[in-house]
Amino acid sequence: MAESGQQVACAMQTFERLHPTEFQRRFLAQNTRHDGREFMQFRPVQVVKGAISTAQGSATVRVGNTTVVCGIKAEVCEPDVKRPTEGYLATNVELSPMCSAQFRAGAPSEEAQVASEHVHRLAGQMFDLTSLCIESGRAVWSLAADIVCIKHDGGILDAAVVALVAALEDLRLPKAELDLGTGMVSADRTMATHVGVGKRLFPATFALVDDAYVVADADDSEERMATASLLVVHDDRGRLVNVWKRGGGMLSSETIARCVQRARERMTEIAQTL
Amino acid sequence: MGRPDKREPGQIRALHCALGQLNRADGSAQFSAGNTSALCGVYGPVDVKVYDEKLDRALVEVKFRPDIGVSATKDRWVESAVRSTFEREVLAHLHPRTLVQINIQLREGDGSVDATVINATTLALVDAGIPLKSMIAAASCVVLADDTTAVDPTQEEVDAARSTHTFAFSSSSSTRPQSGPVYVDSRGDFTMDEYNRCHDLCAMAAERVLAFMRTVVEGKVTKEALISTA
Repeated sequence: MAESGQQVACAMQTFERLHPTEFQRRFLAQNTRHDGREFMQFRPVQVVKGAISTAQGSATVRVGNTTVVCGIKAEVCEPDVKRPTEGYLATNVELSPMCSAQFRAGAPSEEAQVASEHVHRLAGQMFDLTSLCIESGRAVWSLAADIVCIKHDGGILDAAVVALVAALEDLRLPKAELDLGTGMVSADRTMATHVGVGKRLFPATFALVDDAYVVADADDSEERMATASLLVVHDDRGRLVNVWKRGGGMLSSETIARCVQRARERMTEIAQTL
Repeated sequence: MGRPDKREPGQIRALHCALGQLNRADGSAQFSAGNTSALCGVYGPVDVKVYDEKLDRALVEVKFRPDIGVSATKDRWVESAVRSTFEREVLAHLHPRTLVQINIQLREGDGSVDATVINATTLALVDAGIPLKSMIAAASCVVLADDTTAVDPTQEEVDAARSTHTFAFSSSSSTRPQSGPVYVDSRGDFTMDEYNRCHDLCAMAAERVLAFMRTVVEGKVTKEALISTA
């Protein structure tokens, strides 16, 4: 009995390898997904703040099997002449060959660059850069948020945004003062304070798989056959921050409205773990 | 409070389009909405690098160059947006193992850049004779601080806006209204009601853009018919 069960499992793995699309279709046609989730069910989120002691703020986020680490490093620099009271927040999403076989070493892939840019645009909407001011026109904090993917199993933007929010909440900046005489900035590490995030962001991704099924939080194998993807980001007041639909697959306006509704429910799930 | 350029809230800027200005490209279009202007050149179907070759369809590649400065990460974002919009609109299976290269040069960006880039791409693809499933027209809209909406915003309005919305619709969706937008990018601080309002406004604006595109293509066809009979 045990042997035949093993054979079935083995045959299933072979089938998945040889016909990945057909493998997924068999599940979707039965109103279920290959990992047992329902169509509109998200994967559980785990957030660990402050995992990296050498960074000023850090967080590790797991969404199902997808794992990302975000570390924020702070440096002092001169502000932009046009914006004397604003600091800088640079975000970078790294998708290395370590996280998935689909990425190659070397220059960042297009997916990584698009993710970096999108996270950067979202960060600009949630974080108040004037909170990084040390001395107007003279010195500000420049934050570099590096988001490194450890394991890529779909929903990378969701994980990256949650990681950035968590790392910013964890961020403690030393008390810095500008000595007007010497022009040097001295920082006191013992007097580190939280900066505080302007508003928390809660992302949720949906995918149209095989032009027929709308699924929440698609994993890597589902993303590969997705013809459209929809990212919905809410803030902590329940207002929308971003709706981003890509891909040629058709999502009707009702479907988009349903996804936005579901994303609101996802908000509470993420808020509990943060 | 009126708009800086005295337009009605639902009024788009004057559209202008010139097809085939680049004589070395297979097809090209310069599309302008007011001051915002993009030039798009299409090569295809052409040879593809063996590494990128798709056995069953053509590869669609997009290159975007900004009006000022060198190409950077934010331009990869635009490229990805355009590619994801057109990848399945091009009937790529008709030209397996080839490449369709879309090159876009922004000439001037004065608001609604993403929409103008998408519109220029549609017309360049049509001019190049690349088989398409349908034509795609895009439009932008902003919600201002006083809750009023303005279609086809200038950069000044985008900077003052609480949220910015860009929608692209395919010409086949006017016959199937339930099919929804092809591309959506809404960002800022907004509610679902505002989103729906902007969706409807952009759908109407895109309809007008599409009508303009039809006259442009009709003009091209008539001109070509005249040349071939002469």
